[in-house]
Amino acid sequence: MAPSRTSTVKNKHASKHAANKSGIRNSKTSSKPQSDGVSKSKKPKGKGPPPKPQKSAGNLATLKKKRRVYTEKELGIPALNMITPVGVEKPKGKKKGKVFVDDRESMLTILAMVNADKEGQIESKMMKARQMEEIREARKAEAEKRVEMRKAKLDETKEGIRKKRKRPSAGDEKDDTRIEAAAGTRPLKLKKKKSVSFA
Amino acid sequence: MRPLTEAETQTLFAKLANYTGNSLKNLIAPLDNSPKGDRYVFRIQNSRCYYVRLSLANLAVSVSRDKLLSLGTCLGKFTKTGKFRLHITALPILADNARYKLWVKANGEMPFLYGSHVVKAQVGRWSEDCPEHQGVVVYSMNDTPLGFGVTARSTQEARRLDPTGITCFRQADCGEYLRDEDSLFATTN
Repeated sequence: MAPSRTSTVKNKHASKHAANKSGIRNSKTSSKPQSDGVSKSKKPKGKGPPPKPQKSAGNLATLKKKRRVYTEKELGIPALNMITPVGVEKPKGKKKGKVFVDDRESMLTILAMVNADKEGQIESKMMKARQMEEIREARKAEAEKRVEMRKAKLDETKEGIRKKRKRPSAGDEKDDTRIEAAAGTRPLKLKKKKSVSFA
Repeated sequence: MRPLTEAETQTLFAKLANYTGNSLKNLIAPLDNSPKGDRYVFRIQNSRCYYVRLSLANLAVSVSRDKLLSLGTCLGKFTKTGKFRLHITALPILADNARYKLWVKANGEMPFLYGSHVVKAQVGRWSEDCPEHQGVVVYSMNDTPLGFGVTARSTQEARRLDPTGITCFRQADCGEYLRDEDSLFATTN
């Protein structure tokens, strides 16, 4: 970019020189085009004023009337044309700042509201606690029932085992008699048993 | 110093109602039956809320805001988020109108006053039918208010609790008068 800029500067000089046919910078020929532009702008201004008052005389009166009807204040347009958030804009005709509660009646109404709210909360808490308590008791009762059932089952099985034990003991007695009988018939085997019991 | 706004009054009453219940009405009841009789009002100064007699509050108007340190009884302070925090200085007011109470035995007094919670072994008596997370005022066995807290369990549940289980979470205790001596009272502005 830099080199191109320098080139433009050079070109400007070149163009100036080109425009200045005489070669002198502040000569009349060089200043002429500038003065022409100014004179041109002045000319319409000079010409302008005479027709304007003629037009405004009739139109301005009507415009003024219209403007008076729709003033900015009446429209409620903010002084600066900026976007204001919905919450920020304050309602008209209301007290600025905080609204205090100092009279007894309004305090009592707030108090009643708060109290009712708290009562409700406490009541619901108590209800919940009672329900939970009921559920807990029901669970406890169920658990106790189960324990009893298990105990009963255990007792039954114990009884069953005891009964079973009694039967084999009766059989043992019979066996003993048989052994004795056997011992009576076969003394040799008894001797062997005695030796085993000693060891 | 200024009166409370509606929102502030609501937060304050909601907090006080945790401990006092229905008897909160007595706080703002007129002191005598005359039409322009004196009564107690709430005032805010430096985010601290004071419970003060109206006549005194009217007198205090003559003191400029930056020079006024405190007046009446300080109940607590409003936090920057708009919540209300009760101070131990509100204990006399809470104790007078307490709904649920808890009495600690002699062995639990000192631990409580040093800032610990109340365990079941230290509880001498408690109010019946007290729900969970409910504000209670803690008393010693000779009915001296020691502080206030929040129940950890309902009374029914607390009965089944083991002796080392916490029954009441401490919120404020009288030991704060010594421990928080620097910050409890507004001494500078």
